[in-house]
Amino acid sequence: MLFKYLSAKNEDIPPGSAAIFFGFSAIFWFVVGTGLGSFNAAKLAFPDFVTGTELFAFGHMRQVHVLAVIVGWISMAFAMTMMYMTPALGNTRMWSEKLGLWTALLWNVGLSSALLSLWIGITSGREYSDFAWPFDLVILLGVIAPLCVNVIMTIAHRRTQGIYITNWFFGACTFMVGIVLLVGNSPEYFHLTGLSEAYLTWWNAHNLLGLWITPVAAAIAYYTIPKLTGNPLYSHRIGHMHFWSIVVFYSTPASHHLMSSPLPEWLKSFASVEGVLILIPAVAFVANILLTMKGKWSMFVENIEIKFSVTGVFLAIPLNMQGGFQQTRSINWFIHGTGWIVAHAHLALLGMSTFLEIAAVYFGLQQMLKRKLYSLALANFHYWFVLIGFCTYWISMTIAGLIQGAGKIYEVPYIDVVIAEHPYMIARWVGGTMVFTGNLVWLYNMWMTARVGTLVPDGRYAHELAYER
Amino acid sequence: MAWKMDNPLYSLSDEQEQQQILKMWGEERMGGLIHPANNRLPFPLTFLIALIILTAFMLTMPIWGQRPTAAIYQTHVELMNSPEVQKLATAEEKMKYINTEAYNRAPDNALKGQLERHPIDWYDLQNLAPHIIELQKQTKYPLDNFTVLGDKVVLANFEGNFRADGVRERKQPWWDKGYTIDVFYVSYYCLWMFIMIKRLPHFSKKPVTT
Repeated sequence: MLFKYLSAKNEDIPPGSAAIFFGFSAIFWFVVGTGLGSFNAAKLAFPDFVTGTELFAFGHMRQVHVLAVIVGWISMAFAMTMMYMTPALGNTRMWSEKLGLWTALLWNVGLSSALLSLWIGITSGREYSDFAWPFDLVILLGVIAPLCVNVIMTIAHRRTQGIYITNWFFGACTFMVGIVLLVGNSPEYFHLTGLSEAYLTWWNAHNLLGLWITPVAAAIAYYTIPKLTGNPLYSHRIGHMHFWSIVVFYSTPASHHLMSSPLPEWLKSFASVEGVLILIPAVAFVANILLTMKGKWSMFVENIEIKFSVTGVFLAIPLNMQGGFQQTRSINWFIHGTGWIVAHAHLALLGMSTFLEIAAVYFGLQQMLKRKLYSLALANFHYWFVLIGFCTYWISMTIAGLIQGAGKIYEVPYIDVVIAEHPYMIARWVGGTMVFTGNLVWLYNMWMTARVGTLVPDGRYAHELAYER
Repeated sequence: MAWKMDNPLYSLSDEQEQQQILKMWGEERMGGLIHPANNRLPFPLTFLIALIILTAFMLTMPIWGQRPTAAIYQTHVELMNSPEVQKLATAEEKMKYINTEAYNRAPDNALKGQLERHPIDWYDLQNLAPHIIELQKQTKYPLDNFTVLGDKVVLANFEGNFRADGVRERKQPWWDKGYTIDVFYVSYYCLWMFIMIKRLPHFSKKPVTT
């Protein structure tokens, strides 16, 4: 249905069309990404699982999982929220719904091609930027640039005097992530090697987290929590503190990913201090949201979107406590290159960020489709499967990382460490598979919502209506 | 945009501007959302931020997480060919004796701590020993200017002060220019946040709805 609007006039396209396109695409890529994660985890738990063809070797499959989740699920969920929150917060409509639809189409086609090329082995070999450089350009020029233009032009054409905090983040982050991709991928465009390549690879990876995934996820919570609870955001000035400390402190500590490299030590010292200072935006965000919940904590139990959102905010606490301290010289010495880092990355992407996005996609799709969620029971099933699955994964990988760290420091033979980790690899697979199962149920629930969900009358919100299932 | 500087801890904007802002906040509806409340930074949050800044500098000093230098294994190299070690049968026994002796002979707790954090095995020591013996013959850099990475010894890339002979010190410092940059950077941030926050209406005033 959405495809017919690709050639329609902008004013003839119903508001929210691009958000719906992005929303369902995001859920689809989440299912694909977590399915690949479950497959990869099975290979680590059971080394004889699917052998004999190099296409299904771990080295081929890992990056496909990582980028399907980041560029497919997380970034498309962000685009979806931008497509409905940005105009809503400016009391206007999207600057170009048509550009939004074309961006969604190009995004899906480009990502499918890029992942296919990655799967067959065409890769830059740079972590978090594994695509070959032509695909990097497609993402920059065909996906991020039009999204940025659409968001910033919508903010510029708003019908409000002020700009709500969520839109500060949306406008700034879509711009900043473009700069990150342009500069961060320069080793591929200009064949930079050695330390320059290493530094820019981690500058890119760090800032994808710091200037895109974490702040946009937080911006979403600044909308969903006040919107659903009916409370105003607790403090405008804490919002200022969060925004500026993200820009100042999250953009600078890239070299703390390379504490054992021959980068200048003073640069590592600078980055390490900045790394701990990441706790400033974190405490500002968590405090502002939790104080906004005052008097509405019953919704944490009763409302599925609040349940996901607040869980995401809670997960921001261990995320930033780990992130702030694990990069210091003394702790990095122990945990660098172990499963601890894998656990931490999942805490950021599958924990804090994903829970906030799921809430926004649930809320946004119901609003844009003007239909009540098909089944609360399935949504609760989704919540508990994703939460228990994630926690199983996170805890098991954290323990595995500590074992690896001890093995590394005390020079325990590698194979002994592999044997010691085996139970945790099985737990990792069980947890990842639970997340995948939960997401399959979510896709079904949203599909049924679009088809048979109860129609929401004009002027009402979906969350104001009672559930029927 | 009038500035008022007589009581900066109260507000940096004048009464008229504060009232204009409060009126706008009170009337504006953004997609049905009320403007964020004009609440102050809670004191525990301000305290926590100060604590974070202090912790950031204290915890990341280069004296924590120091790498092993060639200097800490000097005693190991001296002992490895001694008759006491040679008469021991296994690599484990040799290293146990050497480690205990090196620890006991360490003149201060700083070196003892380094030895505890950076244990070494017999085979790495055999690889390292010729390098350390060679380095002891040169005078340009002292042994604590060399970092031990596994079974390799390399000149550290710390950029310390220039000595009188024009050679740059490579010893791990307790403070470096990264920290100096951080002091200015954090100060600019705090100044910027102070201005941003104090330009807003004072927290005792609430949005005016009409």
